Amino acid sequence: MSLLLKNISLPLTPFTLEVDVEIHGRVTVIFGPSGSGKTSLLLLVAGLRRAKSAFIQLDDRVLTDVSQGVFVPTRQRGIGYVPQDLALFPHLSVRQNLFYGHKSSSHTNRLFTFEHIIDVLEIQPLVERGITELSGGERQRIALARALLASPRLLLLDEPLASLDLKLKLRIIPYLARIREEFQIPMLYVTHDRFETLALADEMIVLVNGKVAQIGSVQEVFSRPANRSVAELLTVETVQPGRIVKVADGLVNVAVGSVTLTAMEQNLPANADGVYVCIRAEDVILLKGGDSPSSARNHLSAVVQAVTREGPLMRVEVDCGFALAALLTKQACEELTVIPGAHVVALVKAPHIHLIPR
Amino acid sequence: MTSAEWQIVAFTAGMAVLSTALILVPGVGLAWCLARLRWRGKALVETLVTLPLVLPPVVTGLVLLKLFGRRGPIGHWLYSEFHLDIVFTWRAVALALGVMSFPLLVRTVRSAIEEVNPALEQIARTLGAGEWRVFFTITLPLAKRGLMAGTLLAFARALGEFGATIMVAGNIPGVTTTLSTDIYQLVQLGEDDHAWTLAGVSLALAFAAVWSSEWLTRRKKH
Repeated sequence: MSLLLKNISLPLTPFTLEVDVEIHGRVTVIFGPSGSGKTSLLLLVAGLRRAKSAFIQLDDRVLTDVSQGVFVPTRQRGIGYVPQDLALFPHLSVRQNLFYGHKSSSHTNRLFTFEHIIDVLEIQPLVERGITELSGGERQRIALARALLASPRLLLLDEPLASLDLKLKLRIIPYLARIREEFQIPMLYVTHDRFETLALADEMIVLVNGKVAQIGSVQEVFSRPANRSVAELLTVETVQPGRIVKVADGLVNVAVGSVTLTAMEQNLPANADGVYVCIRAEDVILLKGGDSPSSARNHLSAVVQAVTREGPLMRVEVDCGFALAALLTKQACEELTVIPGAHVVALVKAPHIHLIPR
Repeated sequence: MTSAEWQIVAFTAGMAVLSTALILVPGVGLAWCLARLRWRGKALVETLVTLPLVLPPVVTGLVLLKLFGRRGPIGHWLYSEFHLDIVFTWRAVALALGVMSFPLLVRTVRSAIEEVNPALEQIARTLGAGEWRVFFTITLPLAKRGLMAGTLLAFARALGEFGATIMVAGNIPGVTTTLSTDIYQLVQLGEDDHAWTLAGVSLALAFAAVWSSEWLTRRKKH
């Protein structure tokens, strides 16, 4: 899949949405705070809103080219859209909702069968119900199925899990992951939730005040935020892929590069294996040399790589078998003589390591 | 009630049904245009459509009389092309009733359409539906109660129309006499008993129509 969003300009209040990106990821998260223009961008792609200037191309098909007067109507774009409030048709049954778009797509263009979608989303028992008889998570899956049944070539998801509590979120995320795996359908996923981003995204675009602050792979953006506003938005400095090696006594051992970290057992899916290990820089303690006993479960010998000033604090990047960031006061840096090349020990308490399934 | 009275009731109800049926499609179409589209001259059309609601009905009747009379611009054309007479025929009754009840239909249906969440129509478009399909499968069913309420209101308004009817259709017994014009005439002739009988019929019809309309509007809110 390739989606070109070129030369996009849409005046919003109090800023103008300006985007110029190429998207190739299977699941691309558009990440940003509320009111940063994320939804407007989706509406432009869907053809539900018109920009002052825009060039939008999905694979080899130009959908919008304002300068040439090209504007493919929404119904011919083949782009599925699941809005935040899901917009299920209240006067139709679940079955009628599901088949609404199925009727419009011609047989030859159908990408997946009704049975396959029903099966993947486990909605067979819901099909004969009325819309009002569905719970939050069920409504979510019906809205996803309805969009998929129209055989879209791109799926737009606008904070689809924002209205759900964490427990329900954890139940729905695997369905989204299954859609990604089973149907190979590219998705643009709008969210301001780090957890959803790490669980689903291949690539991410950080949108701040209508401008693209950063674009890249999830790991890249989380571990090397382009600037301070991105770093503050993400609030996680270290994100590393890891593998669960042991779960016992409420603790989890995770292999990251050459080291094994100890974390608390978390609400992970039973079969989770690969995870993202997230450590906030302010939760990392640095000691000078030695390996005196401490209550922290993770003692990592490390070599200082770089020290940069970040407001009143110093951001210290160390190599402890993987890249880890720590935030220290200037005074602490001086006392520990933290300079590039210095040997230190990094301490991280088990509860400060967050694991996110990937 | 005498058979002549029954004939007048049937004629009035028939004309009200006919006029309502005639304005239904253009009324709903205009209501949709006003609710969903932005266009030049919208404010002007809105005002023109609402005018019959606030103008003295005899003024509306007078305008219609001038437009549709044989020497009027529309009346002249209809007569020379189709040999159709409008004024002082049953057609003028239907015309007067239609014009007078049109604003009620348009205003009610318009607000019903405005209450339909546009996001639902947008989603329907992303699912491949064209504008007609969106209108008939999403907008109209969701505005159904408002549509029925508006239709009943228009019908009720038509039943009781007097001023415009008397101007453009007159009060020709057996040809253009409606409940309202007949009641007026009966009172003029001092036949109050007959007048009250017809007034009772009018009341019953109007009550039934407005009550159903209210009932529909109220249920819609839940």
